[in-house]
Amino acid sequence: MSPLTPSTDLRPYFDELERFADGQMSLAEQEAFELRLEAEEPLADAYAAYEQLTADLRWAAGHDTLRLRLQALDERMNERGQALAKTKLLEKVRQRRWMILGSLGVFLLLGAVVAAWYFSRPNTAVIAHDWEDYYQPDPGPTVTPNLLRKRPFLSKTLKEYQAGHYSTALHSLDRVPVRVGSDTVRYVHGLILLRQNQGDAAQVYLRLVGARDSTTELAHRARYHLGMAHWQAKETREALVQLRIVAADSLSPYRALARHIVASGALKE
Amino acid sequence: MSAPLAETLTQLRVGNQKFLIDFYQSSRLLFARWAQRQYQLAAPQAHRLLQDTLLDFYDQVADGRLTLLPADLRAHVYGMARQRLAAHVPAHQPLPAAEASRRQRLLAQFNQLGTDCQQVLTYFYFRAYNFEKMGGKMGFPNATVARRQKGICLRKLYELLK
Repeated sequence: MSPLTPSTDLRPYFDELERFADGQMSLAEQEAFELRLEAEEPLADAYAAYEQLTADLRWAAGHDTLRLRLQALDERMNERGQALAKTKLLEKVRQRRWMILGSLGVFLLLGAVVAAWYFSRPNTAVIAHDWEDYYQPDPGPTVTPNLLRKRPFLSKTLKEYQAGHYSTALHSLDRVPVRVGSDTVRYVHGLILLRQNQGDAAQVYLRLVGARDSTTELAHRARYHLGMAHWQAKETREALVQLRIVAADSLSPYRALARHIVASGALKE
Repeated sequence: MSAPLAETLTQLRVGNQKFLIDFYQSSRLLFARWAQRQYQLAAPQAHRLLQDTLLDFYDQVADGRLTLLPADLRAHVYGMARQRLAAHVPAHQPLPAAEASRRQRLLAQFNQLGTDCQQVLTYFYFRAYNFEKMGGKMGFPNATVARRQKGICLRKLYELLK
């Protein structure tokens, strides 16, 4: 369907129709044109066609304007949606990055804590090894026939101790009468416990040796073993204190050994 | 129908399209969800469908086919969208309607005009700007130049239609 009837050609009337429709005519021209519209049928048809054209044009312009506005709005909303999505994504990436960094930090912290614990823990293997390396066992008093006769249980204990049967020796020691020279019994008791790796318990007996008289030979000897008992119990500070005393003790048979231990740095405060 | 709604339709008829723009802005997301759920349409297709449906609605109002604003506008627009899908109307094509062919032909030729001519004709016939205001908007030296330019563009369009 054509916008205008085939017989209607606006071109001959275009200028007049446009001036009339756009209000460009003077009042006299306008009245004259209106009279012609009533009288001239071709002009009236052209006017109707012109009105239809401009009405359609008004619609087309409105339709196109709305189409363009909707498209522009759609693009704006898409861009805004994309920007929002991008912001959310960036936020998520940032959160994930922080989470990873946080986890890494916690992991590193844990690693550092574990490493610190590992490197700062007492090296029991080395200490035990060092203790045995530097320990000079004391076989204790010699079992003479006289001692055997006078102190049979002590003699039995000493024999078992010297033979390396420490549990049996401890058992035998329990049978030794208390009246027997207590420093000797305590000393032997400490030595046996020391050899049984009971450094804590050995300290109790060795510390009591020489409690009454610290000038006896046993008292000098006991101090060395007391130091070694501390070392065995991983009390390096106390061990070093005792061994320094021994190293300075001219009457101790272990003086040279104690000096060597102190100088070697095997024991650290 | 409430008075504001009747006013809305009148405004739309005289060229105030804000109502439809606002409707699109507030309904696009929900409409796309509905179209996705009901017809498995992707979001961009759903957006185009809503735009075409609102253009149909505008046409109905502009040519007088719709004289009362529907009580439930949302249901009316969704129903129109259903009709478009059922009739398999291609995107950016109007629903078949009286006078649509003649007007669509004019619209097609209108889009063949240069951007300046489209703008001039839109300002004068749709926005109802006078020559002075139109001249100012278009950067013409005076109203006479604007009037002449409008005449030239209208003749160009007429020649395209002949």
